[in-house]
Amino acid sequence: MKLHNSLRWLVFLLAAFAMNFPVIATVATAFKGPGEVTKNPSLWVQAPTLDNFITVFTVSDRLNIFAYLWNSAVAAMIGSILPIIVAFPIAWAMSRRSYGRAVMFPLIVNIRALPLIIFAIPLYMVYSATGLLDTRVGLGLILAIVNLPLTLMLLVNAISDIPIELEEAARVDGARLPRMLMRVVLPLCRPAFVTTFVFGFITGWNEFLFGLMLTTREAVPMTVGASFFFASSGGGVQWGVAAAVMVVAALPPLLLGLIMYRRLSGSMVAGAVKG
Amino acid sequence: MRVQSYLRAGAAALALLAGPTILQAEVTVLGWPGGPEEAALRAVTDIYNGKAEVAAENKVDLLFTSREGFFDKLQVDLAAGSTAFDVNLIATYSIGKYAPFMEPVILSEEAKKVFGDTVLKTMQYDGQQFGVPTDLSLHFLYYRKDLIDALMADDAAKTKYAEIAQKYLGEALQPKMPEDWTWRDFAANALYFSQSVNPDSPTRYGTVIQMKNLLFNMMVFHSWPRSYGANWMDDAGNVTVDSEAFRTALEMAKMLYDAGATPADSASYEYAEANAAFSSGQVAAMVQWNAAATELMTAQPTTGTFAPPAGPDGRFTHIHGLGLGINKASDNKEGAGAFLAWLSGEEAALAYAKAGGAPGLASETAAKVAADRPDLVQAGDYASNYGFVMNGGTSANALGIYEAQAKEFTGFWAGTQDLDTTMKNITASMTELLKK
Amino acid sequence: MKPNRTVENAVLASPMVLFLLAMLGFPVILSLVYGFSETRFEALTSPTFNGLDNFRQVMADTSFWQAAWFSLRFGVITAILQCTLGLFLAVYLAPLIRRHSWMVAVLIIPMVVAPAMIGLMYRLVLHEFVGPLPHYLFQWFGASPAFLNGANVFKTVVVAETLQWTPFAFVLFLTAYQAIPTEMREAATVDGTRPWRMFWKIELPLMMPTLFAAVFVRFIDGFRVFDTIYTLVGPGPGGATTSMSIYIYETFLRRGEIGKAMAAAILLFLSAFLVLAVAQHLLRRRG
Repeated sequence: MKLHNSLRWLVFLLAAFAMNFPVIATVATAFKGPGEVTKNPSLWVQAPTLDNFITVFTVSDRLNIFAYLWNSAVAAMIGSILPIIVAFPIAWAMSRRSYGRAVMFPLIVNIRALPLIIFAIPLYMVYSATGLLDTRVGLGLILAIVNLPLTLMLLVNAISDIPIELEEAARVDGARLPRMLMRVVLPLCRPAFVTTFVFGFITGWNEFLFGLMLTTREAVPMTVGASFFFASSGGGVQWGVAAAVMVVAALPPLLLGLIMYRRLSGSMVAGAVKG
Repeated sequence: MRVQSYLRAGAAALALLAGPTILQAEVTVLGWPGGPEEAALRAVTDIYNGKAEVAAENKVDLLFTSREGFFDKLQVDLAAGSTAFDVNLIATYSIGKYAPFMEPVILSEEAKKVFGDTVLKTMQYDGQQFGVPTDLSLHFLYYRKDLIDALMADDAAKTKYAEIAQKYLGEALQPKMPEDWTWRDFAANALYFSQSVNPDSPTRYGTVIQMKNLLFNMMVFHSWPRSYGANWMDDAGNVTVDSEAFRTALEMAKMLYDAGATPADSASYEYAEANAAFSSGQVAAMVQWNAAATELMTAQPTTGTFAPPAGPDGRFTHIHGLGLGINKASDNKEGAGAFLAWLSGEEAALAYAKAGGAPGLASETAAKVAADRPDLVQAGDYASNYGFVMNGGTSANALGIYEAQAKEFTGFWAGTQDLDTTMKNITASMTELLKK
Repeated sequence: MKPNRTVENAVLASPMVLFLLAMLGFPVILSLVYGFSETRFEALTSPTFNGLDNFRQVMADTSFWQAAWFSLRFGVITAILQCTLGLFLAVYLAPLIRRHSWMVAVLIIPMVVAPAMIGLMYRLVLHEFVGPLPHYLFQWFGASPAFLNGANVFKTVVVAETLQWTPFAFVLFLTAYQAIPTEMREAATVDGTRPWRMFWKIELPLMMPTLFAAVFVRFIDGFRVFDTIYTLVGPGPGGATTSMSIYIYETFLRRGEIGKAMAAAILLFLSAFLVLAVAQHLLRRRG
């Protein structure tokens, strides 16, 4: 048993190191000075410095990392919560009544396979006509479209996993459909909502192309803002600063993932007991 | 600054549903983000806005987006009729693509004297001036003086050099100073300084060729076939890419790649990677954009620069310009025109140069800033003596042609297709793209 | 009762349908028009109908088929690798994770990072002169392979994608594994079932729905890959790493062939729709 556990630890360490290798290297680079980046490629930082991070936060009046972070947070929130709200009712109908399973379900799920950027021009026209161009709401709405397929898929699966007896019991008690959905199905879906929300938020936070195309000044998200820094000294990529920006940009979704993970693991235990 | 940001973020949250807040009644200029171009544009804008005769509604406001995907975004903005900016960036290779969405500009009377015809031409399409030139890009040969000097002083090394040249190039070339190099000398030097060919070489690679499937890499490559007489098409409009000149240059580059004279990963190298390689001290010489001069000389202080090597047809460097022109959908074309007219004059050009920009100045004008910017004199010299734009290089589909070449040529270098197929494919693509 | 149900279903569907119509209604219609027209960026408002010309052009374009083949291969290989690895990690590490839940947090870090940035990170990590990986390889073995030349670039992008998205499969499997009722395992243990047998006969069958979902999502995501590859190597030497998304993006924005790009997207959507519809049909018959 002891040997088994040591082996497990070894596997964990190996997997964690391999999968996180680029991240570890980036964090190391972020703490290297400009001279060291070109001369010391190892993961060991000889003269750790916070200069790159200071540059990121103070480089110029034009680059405001706080605004980018805020824009991304708002847009990703809208982009992850809205699809859950609009997809929940139909996910129930699809799961319990096979309503729309033949056409609507594959139609929507396959939106995920499309490079949605081909809609850039018509969307741009709609957005500039409705005043959504260069706004966080506008960016959030398109992120909601990006997230809709996975949201629908995960919710349909989650509702199928709920024992139907619970719903039937509520029906016998005379609860009408809306009441039953709100009182019985919704609470049981909470773990799925959390998973879907986390995935959706991360996807929304990390989206680049729509952020580039649909914003110019007011609603620039973090991914696009990060690319501003890469060229901030002109010409080539300044690896140290670029690495620091990437670290800062990845922190919020990482924190969210960590906090939500606690809830996730909690709900998983609840799920096991329930079954 | 932080508190201010929070306040701004809070206010923005309140205004969340209020729609976009675009600053109106100014001339908004979309510039090339980051680097000396941005700093220089900021400096001249401050001068312009400080002038008493410039009315409040014609003051210039600068807008910068991302370099990553800049021209893709610009394409969408212009096509959809964006009014987010009145003046926008254009480049020689994309002028034909964006001209339909832009209005010709009227230059100041000094412009001809300040920039000279060669440079003004980089901003012309269909005989009309669509932009005021701001920065000029061309290529330098960067080489390590210390290595060349050591080689020239060592007879045993010279013999070895000649042996290597005989073996790979069929001719016992002698080492020369980079000012006298032809592309064959460049190749011999690259081979001599590569450890895969010459295990005693002080550097791992003799050169680094940027071979990533990327249109800008084609521009760097073009000086090579051009010096063998290459062109995209002849004066009658026939596509002439399938020529001895292109074939020779492509094969020489591949020979160097296969011999290990450039890193095997150069198949994925662009500007940043190539500079990092040279900066590490493991590369003896390379052809790179003039913009890299400061970075490379800081990393390797013994770096020398010259124009790219010569060929049977002479010495050449690919040139292209960045410039600013008027967005057709702009609602303040008058103010935009006024700013651009001023920008094309001597006052602005000199200020732009002093603030770190790289304008292509006629020698008389360059002389006025020679004390501050000696490099501009050199670049201006090279541009007027060796500069070229391929026949068709400003056509509507020029960008597409560079893209197609990038795909086909990198395929040949990586060994996924032979030279005849490459030539057949690129001739077909270019015939299609130049037809329109 | 029946008509009531139809109305009910329509009401349930309305939020999503209305949202989709509002957002994508106009773009989809315009794109369909463009798909059957000759359209240029200069003349977006006046496309000229040209029937199936764009579709013919796409079908005759070897780059299109090259991209389709790349995406298919990439999607299948990465989906299988990620799901195998993710399943192994979830099941093998489950006993440890029960006591140390923070381990999950460490393992999901890669998928939290933007794919575009992962691509950039690998540009640095794999660089022969400034990247840590070649640095250590040179130090230990005196040589480092070319990760991004014509021969290796496919393997490299497959590995990069797999390392980033194995956590996705891992999380799904871990959730499913932990949801298996404890009584079932206890009963089997009492019967003297060995761990391997328990996995094959009891646990894996219970996780089948998750396995299908994971393979499907990972395949779709691999098939549509864009950011990671585009920032790492671009379209690749000779177009060797041009995925379907990259092909459509470049046709659309770089070459300005709007109609052709739309036609390619329509073909892609139709084939994906067919595959999923057939798969659903088969699954339901099986179930």
